Amino acid sequence: MKKANLAYVVEDDPITSTITKLLIKKNLHFKEVQTYANGQRAFDHLLSVLEYGCDVPDLILLDLNMPLMDGWEFLDAFARLPLAKSVCVFILTSSIRPEDIDKATFYQQVSGYFSKPLDKRNVALMQQLFQEATC
Amino acid sequence: MENELSAGVTADLDVLEFIQNQAFDGLYYHSLLGPAYEWVNASFWQSLGYGPHAMPTAAAARCAAMHPADLAAADLLLAECVQNPQQPYDFVARYTHLDGSLVWMRCRGVVRRDAEGTPLQLIVTMLNITPEKQDQKYIQELADHYSLILGSQSVYIVKTDNEGNYTYANDFFYERFGYEQDIIGTSSMLSIIEEDRSKCLDMVMRCFAQPEVSHQVILRKISSDNSIKANHWELKGIVGPQGEVVEILCVGYDVTLLVENLHKLQHLLDVTSQQNVRLQNFAYIISHNIRSHSANLTSLVEMLTEAEDDEQRTMFLQMLQTSTEKLADTIVNLSDIVAVNSNVNKPKAPRVLRAEIDKTLETLSVVIRQHAIKVEVQIPADLVVTVVPAYLDSILLNLLSNAVKYRAPQRPALIQLSAHRESGFVVLTVQDNGLGLDLIKNQAKLFGMYKTFHDNEDARGVGLFITKNHIEAMQGSISVESEVGVGSAFKVWFNEKS
Repeated sequence: MKKANLAYVVEDDPITSTITKLLIKKNLHFKEVQTYANGQRAFDHLLSVLEYGCDVPDLILLDLNMPLMDGWEFLDAFARLPLAKSVCVFILTSSIRPEDIDKATFYQQVSGYFSKPLDKRNVALMQQLFQEATC
Repeated sequence: MENELSAGVTADLDVLEFIQNQAFDGLYYHSLLGPAYEWVNASFWQSLGYGPHAMPTAAAARCAAMHPADLAAADLLLAECVQNPQQPYDFVARYTHLDGSLVWMRCRGVVRRDAEGTPLQLIVTMLNITPEKQDQKYIQELADHYSLILGSQSVYIVKTDNEGNYTYANDFFYERFGYEQDIIGTSSMLSIIEEDRSKCLDMVMRCFAQPEVSHQVILRKISSDNSIKANHWELKGIVGPQGEVVEILCVGYDVTLLVENLHKLQHLLDVTSQQNVRLQNFAYIISHNIRSHSANLTSLVEMLTEAEDDEQRTMFLQMLQTSTEKLADTIVNLSDIVAVNSNVNKPKAPRVLRAEIDKTLETLSVVIRQHAIKVEVQIPADLVVTVVPAYLDSILLNLLSNAVKYRAPQRPALIQLSAHRESGFVVLTVQDNGLGLDLIKNQAKLFGMYKTFHDNEDARGVGLFITKNHIEAMQGSISVESEVGVGSAFKVWFNEKS
């Protein structure tokens, strides 16, 4: 069983963010879930984590449409980070735009693409993918 | 010598026999004294298609084969010749061939008289000139045929020499382009609008290179009613005896309507595909926004039913309330956007730009004063823009409130407004010294729907999207220059042409 210590929820809508946090805490049994209002904030935090040697998250749930740094920009920046362990990234968005789904397949770090809502079925799928993921 | 020869000939009956029967296509003697008597030779009847055993012998047979009008003319001429010995007997008579066709005979005759000058006989020799007459007729037909083509009321026919000067132009060309004087010898090139001249020259060069094939080109030209007409031309080199091009033949017709329709169609296609892209985007955005709220609502309701205690229950209820409010807001935003997209043809009216800006600044005066923002307006008081008034209000409010909202906190805020005219547009510039944007990263998203760029709680991400839509609905455009930490300058191009 893969460790589920720390997850990031990167999402600009505070309500969605809170709901997601509660759901994955409860269903994916994460000890700690941190929320970030946009890609920039999550990325800045990861930088300081690297600098001070704190815990790197095991899972990142990433929204696509966000101000400052959107999901794609976050993925580009994230790919360049010298991380000691691999991190599982799931895209969690309300976009059903086919281009977005296609684009996500080009990102190696992305282990899954989920359309909101994060219902029971999606949660179960996420759990399975998280366990199987090589990251 | 001549006398000697003719003396010999006159003496020799064989020669007379040859002249009488074979030297001409016809010969006859017509007596002018006593009862009408006529001798017609055999070659005449052969010329009219009669065989040696079927020749008419009646005295009036020749006259019967003659065209009645010519017969009358022949009688008149003979009467004149009888009266006046100086009058030559020479005319062309039409005879009817056995097969019904016309045989043209050039008839030359002489009136024989006795010593007292009394006319005795008319001697007439005939030459069959039917082939020449037929050639002449064919040439005439051909000429009529071509003049019919040249007189066409829908095709221009023009010729130029190697220097491009007119050598021929048909009536229709004169008529359509309102030339009152002869244009022969003037330059054809100068009448073509400047942008098309190089195209024309290029085609003429091709005519020199390949005169045997036609070269096609569309050229524009000012017509008599001062409108520009597009004409399709077919150019061909006319080759002289040495194989060199001596003239250029140009056959053209008006394609103005066709070209106009093509442009209209292209424009329509552009508009439609733009609208299509916009609509598709719109559909995705609607689904995105409504979906995100509905997803929240679904999750919250589920969580509410499974809540562990009152505290959680209260929290979820609170979140439910916020979510429903947000959904309502989204729907209001969407209806704003639909309104812009569906009202393409709202009527435009002239507005004094300065007065409209002052009105908007008044609306914002409280925040402007609160944050001690300096506003400089350098716009002539008489500058008028032609706009959909409601759109102008919305554009000004959006740009100015953005400039206020995204001011840089560390320096005194300054907003500068200016305007100038530029090639059919009035350009309004709204410049601030605020936060600025990284255009390299954000250019593509700046005017998109639901894109926000700063960590700003009340950013809806629809303002610039609607502004852009408003401006485009008025056939204008918007551009931006911006630098992080320096400020932004938005330029609005109001279309004053249409």
